[in-house]
Amino acid sequence: MKQTSDTFLDNAHAALQDPDKIQRRDIMALFTPIIRDAAMNSFGHFEELRQHVKQVKQHTLTHLDHYLARFEQQALHNGNHVHFADDGDQMNSIVLDICQQHSARRIAKGKSMVTEETGLNDFLKRAGLRVMETDLGEYIIQQAGETPSHIVGPALHKSAAEIRELFLAKHDLGERDLAETADMVGEARRVLREHFLKAEVGIIGANALIAENGYSMLVTNEGNGDLCANLPNVLIVCTTLDRVLPRASDATAMLRLLVRSATGQPQTCYTSFYSGPRREPDTDGPLETHIVLLDNRRTEILASDYREMLQCIRCGACLNHCPIYAGVGGHAYGWVYPGPMGSILTPLLTSLEQSKALPNACTSCGRCGEVCPADIPLPELLRNLRHDETRQKLSPPRWRLGLRLHAWVARHPMLYHTLTGLGIFAMYLLGRRKGGFARLPMAAGWTSQRDFPAPQGRTFMHQYAALQRENEARAHKGRLAAQQTAAQGTPAPQPSGPDRVAPDRPETGGDTSGRAAPGRGKPRRGKPGRARPGRARPGRSESGRPGPGRIEPSLGEGWQDDER
Amino acid sequence: MSDNPRARIFARVEQASGTADTDVIARELAALGTAPGADLPAQDLATAFLANVLKNFGSADCVANRSGVVKAVAEYLYLHFRSHRLVAGNDPHLAAMPWREAGVLPRFGTVEPGEPVTLSYALLGVAEIGATVTLTGKANPAANNLLSEHHIVVVDSARLVSDMEHAWEAINQEMTRTGRPRGINFIAGPSSTADIEGKLVYGAHGPRNWHVILMGDVPASALEEAHALAGR
Repeated sequence: MKQTSDTFLDNAHAALQDPDKIQRRDIMALFTPIIRDAAMNSFGHFEELRQHVKQVKQHTLTHLDHYLARFEQQALHNGNHVHFADDGDQMNSIVLDICQQHSARRIAKGKSMVTEETGLNDFLKRAGLRVMETDLGEYIIQQAGETPSHIVGPALHKSAAEIRELFLAKHDLGERDLAETADMVGEARRVLREHFLKAEVGIIGANALIAENGYSMLVTNEGNGDLCANLPNVLIVCTTLDRVLPRASDATAMLRLLVRSATGQPQTCYTSFYSGPRREPDTDGPLETHIVLLDNRRTEILASDYREMLQCIRCGACLNHCPIYAGVGGHAYGWVYPGPMGSILTPLLTSLEQSKALPNACTSCGRCGEVCPADIPLPELLRNLRHDETRQKLSPPRWRLGLRLHAWVARHPMLYHTLTGLGIFAMYLLGRRKGGFARLPMAAGWTSQRDFPAPQGRTFMHQYAALQRENEARAHKGRLAAQQTAAQGTPAPQPSGPDRVAPDRPETGGDTSGRAAPGRGKPRRGKPGRARPGRARPGRSESGRPGPGRIEPSLGEGWQDDER
Repeated sequence: MSDNPRARIFARVEQASGTADTDVIARELAALGTAPGADLPAQDLATAFLANVLKNFGSADCVANRSGVVKAVAEYLYLHFRSHRLVAGNDPHLAAMPWREAGVLPRFGTVEPGEPVTLSYALLGVAEIGATVTLTGKANPAANNLLSEHHIVVVDSARLVSDMEHAWEAINQEMTRTGRPRGINFIAGPSSTADIEGKLVYGAHGPRNWHVILMGDVPASALEEAHALAGR
């Protein structure tokens, strides 16, 4: 697949020009986290399960030599041909060789992100083979000549009306309405059933490879992968070496996380384990089976500080919870894997230079890390890639200089507080009349879409220090009063909530973050339809927000840490 | 560096992996314990299994014995097709059913395109996920799970297990006895897709209807309770 990650900003800009697609992405971003949360809540032991599966996965990666060898041995014992491929071209060649050996012309293919990564379809098509994607979403985008926009729902960027037009144009089936979604699903079923029955080779991916018995696990709702695995005479499983797990029960434990995180279901309709070719006296199933294990730089990731990325189970939860993914959609990322996992995998599997915009396509909101069922510290890995980008001098020199300057100032707290105090006060003086700034130097991108609210005079840290002093004084006063009354023998009056601090400026709404009072700034310009309600960070609800008495003054540390 | 991709990949993996004896690795893995499963919707295993089958948008029936199975299959066929024809795998459990009692005419073998109903006999039913487990082979050709419009699965209530871990124990026991089957299929619902605008549609590629008949000693109220728990 041709990579366009280097033009991410242009891709993103283009994606923001289509109101229909924007609306569809907004609905998905609202809907998918709700169904995932409901599934996790009804399961009840999410964190315990997540930690267990993570430990098993880390154990497997630590001893991958052992488990990979065990899987290979068992898979061979089961009658498979096992192939290894350093890169995508090798995998594609192995698959084409197998097809040629069987004089195959028709290939039925199940959903596989690995073969998207290697560009297998185009490779086989160039040799004159008829490759048909059979997952409905993949089939739709194959017919449309597009690429997946999501690793679980590849065609969710297309409307039903677009799909209807596509089917009417591509299927020569005479006049028909296709008014309902079920009609379109039914038509794809009929067309693909014919292909299934005639295909000589089936190609599928694997959700897990089981070292103890050499089976591969395949998870689908449609059953298309199972038809690919059972009907053609030859089966090829295209997968990667990081899918190995020790035991079958580890695969189904991982499945509990996978289905709930991906689609919010408690279980997929078809969960199948395949060992190899048909046995005596089986009446159906492939006569010959191949497993192609792709590396494509995964061993480099294994040996690097990004090893945790190999824990990824490809559920798509991080995509569904990412505000950038929701904003610009999957195609903007310019390669196979979008969203937070894609912003890490793409630089690691291709090159950071070519895809350096992706780790920067991050608001650092942390939602991806919180929902990741594999507990991968995605925000941290994204930050490390940004760090690598700076160290390798891939970012613009001006940008690096700015960051170095910021880091130096942030490491000198007195200077930092003095400078920010002066800056905030100056902005307060300049902006207090209008309540905000329509333009700011070095922030034109920000102010082109909205006003910058005028600060309220003092920085958060100043206000916080003042509140601390006020609290201490009040508590001290309370203690003195208590001592006096104890000396007089009467109960002491309670101070009026020493932890409940009066806002610094109640007339401006008591906002201690330096933001303007509501209603003072001008309304957002440019894209009125794009206003998005602020999302609470999971686990940091309004009620759970640290109160003034519990704030730890760690702001400077966090700031120093980032973007050095 | 070797010109063999396998040798190169293993060399890279070995370089990045920890070196440990097989026994040490096995002990480390055992020390990680077992994964928590989902809570069952009911204490009674049969009720929990049926409730999850219904939640997975399957339909379900409870019968006491083999005669009950035959009668239930006959009714299902007549209700949907006004006929008594179906295809069943060469499973001895199915062959031994008193089909004549209800006038059902099974054809034993692999489903052919266009035949609308297939019947399977499950190795297990898994309550945690509301799934039936079948093994591919002469007794249950894989096509019979996939190519029909309606897939009926008979589960013996004595073969119900609570969760996936117990399912693997039972499957591993079976494999010790009969060898590894080509395929192990957990089925939990009719074939479905939500690939067009996220709208759920049944019958994407496989059966549009998945009907489970639970046979054996099951509490009289199990099915009714399961419907109440599943809300359908």
